Amino acid sequence: MRIINFSHGDFVVIGMYTAIVLYTQLGWDPLLSLLVALPLGFLLGVVLERLILSRLVDVPEGSTLLATLGLSLVVQNTLMLSFGASPRSLNVAYGSATVNLGPMTLSVIQLVAGGIVLVVIAGLYLFLNYTERGQAVRATSQNRLGAELVGINTRSVHSLVFGVGVALSVAAGIILIPQLFVTPVITGPVFTLKAFVVTVLGGLGNVWGAIGGGLLLGVVEVLGAAYISFDYRDAYGLVAFLLILLLRPEGLFGRTVKRV
Amino acid sequence: MKRFSGSLAQLALFIAVGLALPLLPGTNFSLLITLLLFIGLATSWDILGGWTGQTSLGHAAFVGIGAYALALGTNRLGLDAISAVQLGVGVAVLFALLWGSLTFGLRGSYFTLSTIAIAEILRLAAINEAWFTGGSAGLFISSLPEPFGLDLFERRVEYYLALVYAASVLACVMWFASGRFGYEMRAVREDEAAAQASGINPTRIKLRAFALSGALTALGGGVYGAYLSFLDPHNLFFLPLSVQIALTAIIGGRGTVWGPALGATLLILPAELFRSVFAEANLLIYGLLILIVTLFVPRGLIGELERYLLRRRYAREQG
Repeated sequence: MRIINFSHGDFVVIGMYTAIVLYTQLGWDPLLSLLVALPLGFLLGVVLERLILSRLVDVPEGSTLLATLGLSLVVQNTLMLSFGASPRSLNVAYGSATVNLGPMTLSVIQLVAGGIVLVVIAGLYLFLNYTERGQAVRATSQNRLGAELVGINTRSVHSLVFGVGVALSVAAGIILIPQLFVTPVITGPVFTLKAFVVTVLGGLGNVWGAIGGGLLLGVVEVLGAAYISFDYRDAYGLVAFLLILLLRPEGLFGRTVKRV
Repeated sequence: MKRFSGSLAQLALFIAVGLALPLLPGTNFSLLITLLLFIGLATSWDILGGWTGQTSLGHAAFVGIGAYALALGTNRLGLDAISAVQLGVGVAVLFALLWGSLTFGLRGSYFTLSTIAIAEILRLAAINEAWFTGGSAGLFISSLPEPFGLDLFERRVEYYLALVYAASVLACVMWFASGRFGYEMRAVREDEAAAQASGINPTRIKLRAFALSGALTALGGGVYGAYLSFLDPHNLFFLPLSVQIALTAIIGGRGTVWGPALGATLLILPAELFRSVFAEANLLIYGLLILIVTLFVPRGLIGELERYLLRRRYAREQG
């Protein structure tokens, strides 16, 4: 939808804290929290889009970026006020369980995460290609005015897309929390930056590209850390990001479009 | 030229207030130094972000360069304070030219994203190259040479330095605002293709604005370094500082002479108050302010005021 969302990673962090709170207060397993958090995340996304992003029409360029940046600061600091700055995590029984597959050792959580990602990708693919709403989303992203001319309610499409985005990032946070530590301020921007890198690598508005970009980022970071220097682990992704942005702004897998 | 003499009077007023403030009893020098520094930094940012319309969220890198140049230049290279700051400004200009020639092909939000990435890479370098920069533990400036017998650790001296800094940045902006360079920058901001059609080279103008903006930011970084006397790469190179600088200018009104200064006054004073109430969460107020400004005053306070006055004058002329 060509909206650069700066608060994306902070929704991941919201997901993480949701899982922690539900686990410590109610004893819910993160997978159970997922069922509750997905619709709530969707609702949160829709409300935020209606309240903030949909109002930003006819304003100087970069306003959506600034607005989401402001949203990100609000989320971070509210979490900081409620949970304090110290890193938190969640210990579940299967948190460190592993499965041996020949010479490889895989963590159960990562397998579950990978499985859920596959389901989500399949779901997105089916939704975007085989449902009327999905086609409306693609039409709006290609040409907003054109979509409106054929009777698509682009406002509701925008809300829908933002809601799905927020719900998915909240879900990612819930799945990942048994593996990671979370702090209110630092964790969010790390994820936001990685999400940018991945989407720019793959080409914006391209679901397959995002998958390829994600794989590429992982490989670049791990190989760089192993063969060049571990200290600069986070920098390799950024360098790759800059190179792609400068050399192939349409993304590695995007189609080249001549701009006028 | 008439407009320029008008702004000279405003500048003189600014300096007079600046000189008079320390005479009041119980002056809080730390607060005033922070305020003046942010007036200078935001006005420098505005040269690129406001006048030329290229939103940078990587200006913390220049603050870092200026501050580290002062610290490393005096303590490791044995330079005097003034040459160390000059070194920082020089490095900043070269860096800005390199940075700009790489990324000015990008438009709008993509340029902004690239500035974040570059500043972030520089921050990682400042953290990891501990042999040179002190690494993530930071760097103490334990001693500074005394130029003209001035003790750079004394708050009063730092205050006057910050005042000179803020005033010179404002003077610089005023000087080009009414001149050819100012029009060229605004032409590039409004429409690059049209600017090109009237014989302006947009990339060259953007590069010039970036170099000037980076140099002035690094100069402020030098004063900031002396004021902090402890350099922390997690602060000096990090995104929140870039955001703070950019936001200060945006709230006041980008592309106006006094907008960034107004923004700094409105932001620094409450942020310092909030710091005691919310401790580490003092950026909350920044987040709320960005939202409010982008939603309700998208052109900034001075920007909206100018628009309102212009419309009223136009309405009156139309009868």
